[in-house]
Amino acid sequence: MNKSVSIVDIETITKTFGQQTAVDSLSLSVPEGSIYGFIGPNGSGKTTTLRMIMRIYHPDPGPGRIRVLGEESFDAANDRIGYLPEERGLYKKMRVREILRFYAELKGLRDFKPAVDGWLDRLDLTDAANKKVEALSKGMAQKVQFISAVLAQPELVILDEPFTGLDPVNTDVLREAVLDLRRRGATVIFSTHDMGVAEKMCDFVFMIFKGRKVLDGTLESIQETYGQDTVRVSVEGNGYDPHTIEGVEKVTDFGRIQELRITPETDTQELLSALMRCGRVTHFELARPSLHDIFVRIAGPEAQEAADQTIPLEADDA
Amino acid sequence: MRKIIVVAVREYQAAVKTKAFIISILAMPVFMGGGIVVQTFMRDRVDTTDKKIAVLDQTGRLYDAVAEAARERNETGIFRGEGEDRKKIRPRFLIEQSEVTSDDPARTAFELSERVRNEQIFAFLIVGPDVVKPGDDPTRARVAYHSNTPTYDDFKNWAAGVLNRHTHQLRFQAVDLEPEVVQQATQRVPVANLGLVSLDEEGRITEAEESNEIANMLVPMGLMMLMFMVVMVAASPLMQSVVEEKMQRIAEVLLGSVTPFQLMLGKLLGIVGVSLTMATIYLVGAFFAIHQAGYGQFFPTHLVWWFVLFQAMAVLLYGSIFAAIGASVSDMKEAQNLMTPVMLVVIAPMFVWLNVVKEPLATSSVVMSLFPPATPMLMILRQAVPPGVPLWQPLLGVALVILTTMVCVFAAGRIFRVGILMQGKGANIGEMMRWVLRG
Repeated sequence: MNKSVSIVDIETITKTFGQQTAVDSLSLSVPEGSIYGFIGPNGSGKTTTLRMIMRIYHPDPGPGRIRVLGEESFDAANDRIGYLPEERGLYKKMRVREILRFYAELKGLRDFKPAVDGWLDRLDLTDAANKKVEALSKGMAQKVQFISAVLAQPELVILDEPFTGLDPVNTDVLREAVLDLRRRGATVIFSTHDMGVAEKMCDFVFMIFKGRKVLDGTLESIQETYGQDTVRVSVEGNGYDPHTIEGVEKVTDFGRIQELRITPETDTQELLSALMRCGRVTHFELARPSLHDIFVRIAGPEAQEAADQTIPLEADDA
Repeated sequence: MRKIIVVAVREYQAAVKTKAFIISILAMPVFMGGGIVVQTFMRDRVDTTDKKIAVLDQTGRLYDAVAEAARERNETGIFRGEGEDRKKIRPRFLIEQSEVTSDDPARTAFELSERVRNEQIFAFLIVGPDVVKPGDDPTRARVAYHSNTPTYDDFKNWAAGVLNRHTHQLRFQAVDLEPEVVQQATQRVPVANLGLVSLDEEGRITEAEESNEIANMLVPMGLMMLMFMVVMVAASPLMQSVVEEKMQRIAEVLLGSVTPFQLMLGKLLGIVGVSLTMATIYLVGAFFAIHQAGYGQFFPTHLVWWFVLFQAMAVLLYGSIFAAIGASVSDMKEAQNLMTPVMLVVIAPMFVWLNVVKEPLATSSVVMSLFPPATPMLMILRQAVPPGVPLWQPLLGVALVILTTMVCVFAAGRIFRVGILMQGKGANIGEMMRWVLRG
């Protein structure tokens, strides 16, 4: 992986729709050959950012710029980019093979038959090749859409929620395909709501919240920032209530296991003895916060309230 | 350019390969031809049961003439074919003399009416007493035809002819005029509708050909209607397909590969292809049908290229407007609302075509046919009416239409670019104008 080359380079771009700011002075840089995960709550600006990278939307006029695959022009649709939009866009009346052929030709691929056959076989769609799109299940249609995005061997693949609505088997098949794209040298940007997938797959995680960048980096570096402030415990005993223990900020109860977030100054040894006083401790694990946890910290209801108060002020300052 | 063609080919195939297209291609000749076939067929399939009609002749001088004319008609006038093929195609009129049954004329009429209601007779005729020599009271000088089937007018028309002929004769006799003399004196002067006299190749003056008024009317009208139909069938599905692409989010995928302008242009070229396919089918069909029918000289061969040119431009012009509408709405219902004003412009030539055909060279006709949205249909209409129009007019028309089409395609492209990705509420005219101006 060559980190010095950025496939996508965004500097302080803003996009407003009427009164609403969808993306607010956003900057990011996607290294070549990486898998770059976009996370963020619904309506936070993920799709808008992806569309700007796709040049479907133009950012607001201003000092910002978007450089994709080394080009800054906003004129041409790019054959070197493959795009899977969030909502599936397939002509219902066309047959699978016809539609793949159409998209391949649009991307300028001339000898498309081997590629089409290869992908259909790989994603287990050979039997559906002559079916009309309207006869496909949702998962199958999504796979067809995926093929149409990657058929022309793009250098940059942008996938908006590629795993949503897929069963575990198809999720695995598609994940394998995405990893394979990277092995072949492609750079992959995808957005997801599934923190597990993002944690396992992404070299870089980028979180956008209310149009602003809140996280950007490798998973390790992000977890580093949030420190080792999480303890997973399991305690047997009647008088046990973790809320009452000093130094515990937040409790997430998973039933058998509780996840405790502790203040930075809390000594874990003291916490352990406090827990032992409550009952029999069967599990005690110091952990880094999961991406899920970090996500909730940033975008959960408490954070939402805080953000509603602070973000407009910051915007005014800017 | 290659991408535009890929889009155009898909659009063309999507339109032409549907059942709806094949049906609409077949529908027009079936409707038009079918109408003629059915009418020809039905002409001889009338009710031929005898019609019994009572005649109350208060003049006492006309009944015999009516009865005699009916007898003659029943023997010779209601058949078609000869010998064994002779076939009755009209009902016989069986005339029955009726008498005044009461002092009250209304009473007599009522009794006869009752007979009609009881189906003893089909209708009855009361010839007023002063018909031959009208006096002051017009009701006494008229013939009243009573029936309960007022739409069946064969007998009434036939009787009117017989009664008038005979009454005229009686009146001539009354003033000692020979009917033949009167007929000669009042004979109508025929006015022939001829073309111009010209020289043939050897310098001899040729006789002017008699104009065929029906052909002179039908050919321009046919061309205009054909263009209207082809434009509608080819261009209006474009709106539907744009709405589909927008609603199914196909546009988003497409715009990853083509620019909005390429996409729209590709779609426009696709439907121009569709329209040319239709026009070819119809023009070739019409050419053979007209030649087969022996009216080959009326086929407007010299206008075929103008037709194709104007039609392609009309499809581009209206197609770009339809595409812009499709891109700026969020569902078909909204699209229909925006379509209404456009449709009014499209069908406007239909309101004026008759005036234009009658006076193709009048200033108003020239001006209307140079109004770009109406040019394709009205110009071809004027060109098809002898003697045609000066060449500068269609050329100017083409130039103006090309200009308008370019403006429309450009404006539609801008509306398309913004609208195609807009979800939720559709745009209003003001917003669309803003998109056009701002880009």
